Formats: sequence, structure tokens, C-alpha cells
Amino acid sequence: MAETDRYARQVLHWGAEKQRIIEDSALLIAGVGGLGATVSQLLVRAGIGCLYLVDDGCLDWPDLNRQTLYGEKDIGRAKVPLARERLNQINSATEIVELSGRIDDTFQMPDGVDGVADCLDNYQSRFTLYRAVAAGTYFVHGGLNGDQGQVLTLLAGESQSFDQIFAGAMQPQGPIPVTPDNVVIIAGLMVNELFSVLWKTPKLLDRCLVIGLDDFNMAFLDI
Amino acid sequence: MLQIQFFSLIRMLLKRDAIEIPWVEGDTVQSVLDKTQAQIATPFLHKLLDGSGTAHTGTIILVNRKNILHLQGLQTPLADGDVLAFFPPGAGG
Repeated sequence: MAETDRYARQVLHWGAEKQRIIEDSALLIAGVGGLGATVSQLLVRAGIGCLYLVDDGCLDWPDLNRQTLYGEKDIGRAKVPLARERLNQINSATEIVELSGRIDDTFQMPDGVDGVADCLDNYQSRFTLYRAVAAGTYFVHGGLNGDQGQVLTLLAGESQSFDQIFAGAMQPQGPIPVTPDNVVIIAGLMVNELFSVLWKTPKLLDRCLVIGLDDFNMAFLDI
Repeated sequence: MLQIQFFSLIRMLLKRDAIEIPWVEGDTVQSVLDKTQAQIATPFLHKLLDGSGTAHTGTIILVNRKNILHLQGLQTPLADGDVLAFFPPGAGG
């Protein structure tokens, strides 16, 4: 087999046209921690055309249980350049663009982004991020707590705004319990939805999928 | 009837995903919360309300898809057939 066969197994499933759309698309990954490390990795493996990465954090020991792009020797390094390095090793065909700084009121969304993956770990940053999303752009939110988690897609300018829906959702005091299995499951669901968004057939538009690993419960909350 | 839906940690706590409660003229989110607590043996109002009776941050309460913080809070009036959802979303990533 040759490098040109890189996507052969997935094209067997979704076909050449959907693969072409993935390769022609650009997504912004907000946060390359638990969710973002796996979301960006899967997108790059699938052949996404371009990823914009934003995260001002550096790797610390409690990150290693779930942040699948990194290892012990990376402790203390800034996550975005590290993620770019690892993602380039996985698939050099994807353009990786590092966005410096943090998500605050000065944050500006790059032009040409086809969708945004909210892989952040706090609601204040999520509210700020959503305000920067241009009308007509899809926003795929993921969040988790212990063995619970959720994925929701909004279309900026048409859906209820993120802060209207999640008003009152604030950060709990102290670290949030997060397990490796739940992070990867929620990240995988986000990527599945991001593909659907790129193909203009989102499954979770204004419909929050709520996952409970305690009893493998999946429920929908219409938004 | 009113449909009361529970998600995530609230669903885990109550071990059920929904109940129905007969609608009564004058019902509000607060009165239905009290009726829901009376119908369910497991104490849960402390998870939704703080000591002063206002909605906790952390659990969002939706009436027909709208967050009550953008309606009239716990005094939001309810109509027959309304759907209430209690959802403490995960914040981590």
C-alpha cells in the first residue's frame, strides 16, 4: 500500500466526495487539552485540510491521564506548538495554524473557518468564544464531568446563543473530575458531529446529546 | 400535564429521566419544583436551589427550551403541556 491509500478504509465507508469535503475544510479547535487533543488528532488522521489551534496552557502532570497527544517528556511545554508538532507527525498534509494568546474579548476568529470545536474547560471562555463566531458558522460544543458529558451543535446567528442556553452554568470550585475514557468518548462524538457539520448534515443542531457512562444512557435535550 | 425531564447528574441522583405532574392554574417553576420534590423521595432541591431559594449556578433549568434566567426565573409561569428540563452540564474538557 502507498501513502495515497492513507484514507482508503474510511473512504470505503463515506465515499470520495465526503472525503474531498473534509480535505477542503478548515476548523478551529478551541482548547487542545483533554477534548481538543483527541478531537484534533482524529481530524488530522481523517485528513482535515486545516486546523487552527488556540490554547494558552502548558502541559502539567494531571493532564497526562487524558490528553492523548502528549507524554511525560512534554511536561512544562506550551500545548499549542506541541500539538502542532505531534499532529504534523501524524499527517503532514494538514495545515496546522497556531493562534497565540488566550480566548478573551480581544480574540478574533480567523477568516475561512468552516466550524468551531469547543474543547474548552470552562464556561466563561466558552461564552467569550461563542461571541467571536461569525453568523452562519457551526459551533460544536463538548463538555464533561466525571462519567457524564454532552455534545451540542449551534448555528451562530440562527440558534439560541450559547450564553442564552447555558446562562447560570458556572465553573465548580476546584478541579473537575475527568476520566480518560469519558474524554475520548465525548471527543469521538464531537468528531463524528464535526464531520456531519462539514457535510451540512448536523445531527445535533439545537439538540444536546447527553451521555451517562454510569449506565450507558444517551438522552437528547432539545434546545 | 407537565413533563419534568432530568439529565446527567440529576438523572443519576433521582434514578429516573422524567416524571409527569398534573398542571394547575397558577403553576410556576418554583411550585412545580416543590411538587416534584414531594413526589420523589430522594432530596434534590438542594442541588438546584441555594439557601435563599434562588436557582443554583451549575444546573440550568429550561422551560420549553428556554433558560429560566431569560424568563422570570423561578417565578416563570407554566402552561399545560410545558416541558421543564433540569440539566447540570459538564464543564470539563
